[in-house]
Amino acid sequence: MAATKQVHLDTPAPSRSTAKDWQARVGRALLWLGVIIAVVWTLFPFIWAVRTSFMTQVEALSPVFIPWVQFTPTLANWDAELNLGGRETFLALRNSVIIAVGATVVACTIGTLTGYALGRFQYKIGNSNIISWVMSQRFMPPIATLIPIFIVIQTLKLLDTHVGMIIVNTTFVIPFAILIMRDFFADFPDEIEEAAVVDGASPWQVFWRVALPLATPALTAAAIICFAFAWNEFLFASVLATREAKPYTYLVASTSTARGVHFPYLATRMMIAITLPVILSLFVQRYIVRGLTFGAVKG
Amino acid sequence: MYRKNRMGLFFLLPGVIWILAFTIFPLLYSLALSFTDRQLARPTSGQFIGFENYSKVFQGIASSVIDTRSEQGQAFFGAGASAVDVRVGETIPTTIFLTLGSTLLTLLLGTGIAWLFNHDFAGLRIFRSVMTMPLFAAPVALGFMGLILFNEQSGIINTVIKAVTGGQWVPWFSQPWPARTAVLLLDTWQWTPFVFVVVLAAMQSIPTELYEAARLDTRNSWQLFSRITLPLILPALGTIGMLRLVETFKILDIPLSMLGGGPGSATQTYSYYAYQVGLKNFQMGYGSALGYVLVIVCIIISTLYFRRMRSRYDQPKQG
Repeated sequence: MAATKQVHLDTPAPSRSTAKDWQARVGRALLWLGVIIAVVWTLFPFIWAVRTSFMTQVEALSPVFIPWVQFTPTLANWDAELNLGGRETFLALRNSVIIAVGATVVACTIGTLTGYALGRFQYKIGNSNIISWVMSQRFMPPIATLIPIFIVIQTLKLLDTHVGMIIVNTTFVIPFAILIMRDFFADFPDEIEEAAVVDGASPWQVFWRVALPLATPALTAAAIICFAFAWNEFLFASVLATREAKPYTYLVASTSTARGVHFPYLATRMMIAITLPVILSLFVQRYIVRGLTFGAVKG
Repeated sequence: MYRKNRMGLFFLLPGVIWILAFTIFPLLYSLALSFTDRQLARPTSGQFIGFENYSKVFQGIASSVIDTRSEQGQAFFGAGASAVDVRVGETIPTTIFLTLGSTLLTLLLGTGIAWLFNHDFAGLRIFRSVMTMPLFAAPVALGFMGLILFNEQSGIINTVIKAVTGGQWVPWFSQPWPARTAVLLLDTWQWTPFVFVVVLAAMQSIPTELYEAARLDTRNSWQLFSRITLPLILPALGTIGMLRLVETFKILDIPLSMLGGGPGSATQTYSYYAYQVGLKNFQMGYGSALGYVLVIVCIIISTLYFRRMRSRYDQPKQG
């Protein structure tokens, strides 16, 4: 994303007439307007949810939004969710953290090994074939694997347990870990590792002492992306973990939304569900493009 | 580095075993299940019934075009016309609308926004980061966002519409097409940033010299875009178009948490119905068949994607 690669569509051209100068300025202004609209379109729903979460139901139903001027912010909803309704919320959030962290650790451990393998070694079966299998997880509709996985998890007596949920979520996020790490190792110059080999290091030592420490930034990004997707997973949780190991997304989905929906309450739950992954995403900007397209587009 | 070493297998195996166990095996198991009448509650079920489930699925899909109660329907479906699972058919318009609608809208909006951001201005990085935030919000929670924003009486969207039109409002939750549109807009809102970042990356990899040369001939932004930018980002657009198609076939979280598939079954997607059949009603054989039809569609689309990837991944080392 180097600034030098930016296209100067409107700035440099030396203008002869003021008419052209004026045109360029209008173009610039329109450009800014477009950018602002895009940013507002993206941020507005978040802002609106934050606003609603600090309101009473009556206020939430009116089109006001300026805090302290048009309405007095209240912490009642957050208090109700975190303190009064506390136990259920707390347990669900704890489950979400355990499941997402567990899945991230397993996926990144295996993903780093496999990514290193695919980036550094050549296999008879064909590296691209192996990668197609890896990616098929992301392409297949989860519906198709949900039923057999339910039967497998049930057979292993892992229904409604953290272990079961960690296995399932690892399966979902492992393609991200494998492909991000593969890309990193494939782009990574060989010379450093070759030097270690010359010094008599074993393949494992080369990996563990040389390659892995240098891979920390990519590994962090892979971990954040895995964590966010495991945290957001709902479909499998709704089938495999509906009581003891119920994560927050399932709690959110089972909120009663019958008549007389309480907006501030919904907004608060929504904010709790999305804040952590959304904030974390701000740290993985460099890896989003490659990570989410599985390397099909370089970013 | 072309390394051929036993250690290579050691590094590769954990991942391969995991994928064989939890991705490939379930897919095969599901294929096997789809030829049986397996139901959770019935221990005697699980008999091989051939293509019966599949014919039920395809008849159901056909019922979206041919009314089973019409004369044509009687002729087409024969004696079993009344037994056709019309609920499958009902999901087809919704699924097609959401899949094509969301793919096209996100591609259009994402490309437009990427074009805007592909200019040199201050604060680009911060804005770009802000733009990607929706990607990481849980879709289930976005259903709530929809409930708040689209609420018929007091949602902000209808408030604005009322102010502009002088009292008219859109029945987002009680009429089928407005409800589908609300789901479409939420999904579009979430995934436009994805197209945006990918297309922006593709645009930024175009050499500046190309623009400099072209600017000798024209200063028209549209011509620069349509003659240089667009042809060069087309491969990237094709790739994400396929990814978006496959992803939107899976839409389920947003309609489920926003309206529970309602009003009626208006926002019930094909995936959502397969989920209900397989895991709420526990008709696992039929549910697997429903899922597998979607697998076949996804395989067709992803084969195109993989073909594009193949050249890149065959070499351990790539540019």
